[in-house]
Formats: sequence, C-alpha cells, structure tokens
Amino acid sequence: MNEYDSKNSNSMLDDEDELTVKQLIDGLEKLDQWNPVSTPNLQWFQENAELEKKRIRKKQWKDLLTFISVAVFMLSVVIAVVYRQPINFLYFQLVGIILLPLALNKPRKKVSNV
Amino acid sequence: MDEKDLIRKAKNGDTIALSKLLQQNYSFLIKYLMKVTLHPQIAEDLTQETIMKCIEKIQLYNGESKFSSWLITIATNLFIDQQRRKKREKNWLEQEQALRKMKWNAANMNEEWADVLDVLAQMNEEIRMPIVLKHYYGYSYEEIGKMMGIAEGTVKSRVSNGLKSVRKELAELE
Repeated sequence: MNEYDSKNSNSMLDDEDELTVKQLIDGLEKLDQWNPVSTPNLQWFQENAELEKKRIRKKQWKDLLTFISVAVFMLSVVIAVVYRQPINFLYFQLVGIILLPLALNKPRKKVSNV
Repeated sequence: MDEKDLIRKAKNGDTIALSKLLQQNYSFLIKYLMKVTLHPQIAEDLTQETIMKCIEKIQLYNGESKFSSWLITIATNLFIDQQRRKKREKNWLEQEQALRKMKWNAANMNEEWADVLDVLAQMNEEIRMPIVLKHYYGYSYEEIGKMMGIAEGTVKSRVSNGLKSVRKELAELE
C-alpha cells in the first residue's frame, strides 16, 4: 500500500469515517497475512510469455488468412455477377445505396443516470 | 535494471525483460485481486488472465501511469467482465464458500476474523473496488475513474456511500 497517498487521501475524512477506514485497512492487511503469496520463478514467466506470444502469432495468421479468403470469395462473386449479369450488379448497387444510410442512421440510446 | 528499461525492452519484444517485469509485479497484482475479489481462487485465475492480457497488449502501454496501475486497470476490467457474465446466485454461493474457507484458515492461525471483510463481501464489487482503491491503495478519484471506465463523480459517490454503508453494517454487527 502506498501509505503516504492513503493517509493523504484520508485527510478529508471525519473521525467516524477515519475509524471505518482504519478497520478496513486492518481487515485487508489481515487478508494478506492469511493468504501468503509465493511468486513463481522467472522461468515460469518466460515459458508463459513465449507460449502466449506463439498463440498470438498463430491467431494473427489465422485472422489474416480468413480475411484474405473472404475477400477473394467476395471479389470472385462480384466479378462473376458483373460479367454474366451486369444488370443484377447495378440492382445490388442501387439497393446498397438505399440501405446504407438507413443502416448507419440508427437512433442512439439516451444515457440515463437514474 | 530499473522498471523503465524493462518496459522499453519488453515493448521491443524482449521476453526476458517482460518476464522480469511481470515477476516484479506479480505479488502486488495478486494481493490487489485478493482484496477486491475476496476469493483466493478467483484472484489467482484473474492474475493469470491479467498476465496473458499484459503480454498481448504490452505495446499499448504508454507510460502515462505506473506499470502496476496499468496492471490493476486490466485486472479490474477483467473482474468486472467476469462478474457480469456470471449469475448473481452463483457468485453469492462462491463468495460464501471462499469466506468460510478463509475464516477457517484464520481460525487455524489463531487469528480473529475481521468483520469488515464480511461487510465488504456483501457489497457489490463495483462499490467495493473503488473503496479499496481509494482507501487502501490511495489512488485519486480521477485515477480510479480511468481504471474502471467511469466518471470521477460516480467514483466519489460510490466511495462515499460505500463507506457510509460499511460503517452502518459494522455498527450493526458490534
């Protein structure tokens, strides 16, 4: 605990509050005594850090591949539609132009403090 | 090597520096979580989760606050998310079991149980956390607000009302 800060922060309290805060601090300090912490060795942290970094790299590659696959698929569909039925492509564009403002213009909820 | 050097190296991908940094802050982190969760097992699990999150997000640490405060921010948010996901009844049962176990441990050590811990355990964690952060760790209302993602005024009222409620409950128990 940062004792200086804690004393400082408690300087505005009245006597009753001060007593409550003292009881609170004593209780929480007892909690530390009853549950002693043993810090693992450096190797444990290193192993965990390596494993986590490996997992993150794997996840990033997976996300990138998924993104590329979806992009290629969508592009193929668009190209196929443009070449085979250009009129359908124009319809899709028109529907998109109409629906986009509606989708973006959602009414925002008001934040209530009650 | 001081903390600033370790942070700089960790951000550049040095695993050993990152491990040292985490090892130095481990005890502080788990003790904080023990105080806000009042549940040793949950505190241990959340410590692990916080460490993993820290490894993932170390690049985003900007040095504005102390490294330990940044860890507390991550841990606090993980705890809030976890509590929101769990059902209230399950939470209550788990808390009761943990308290019983801690009381038993205290009795085994011939120590007197602190009633204030019972009172804290009954409180909602969103009130308990700012009280602990303010009156045990000495953080300012602004810092607590940033850590919990709430307004400074909300922190002030939670701490003030929470403290009043602790005092009232303690008076009833005495």
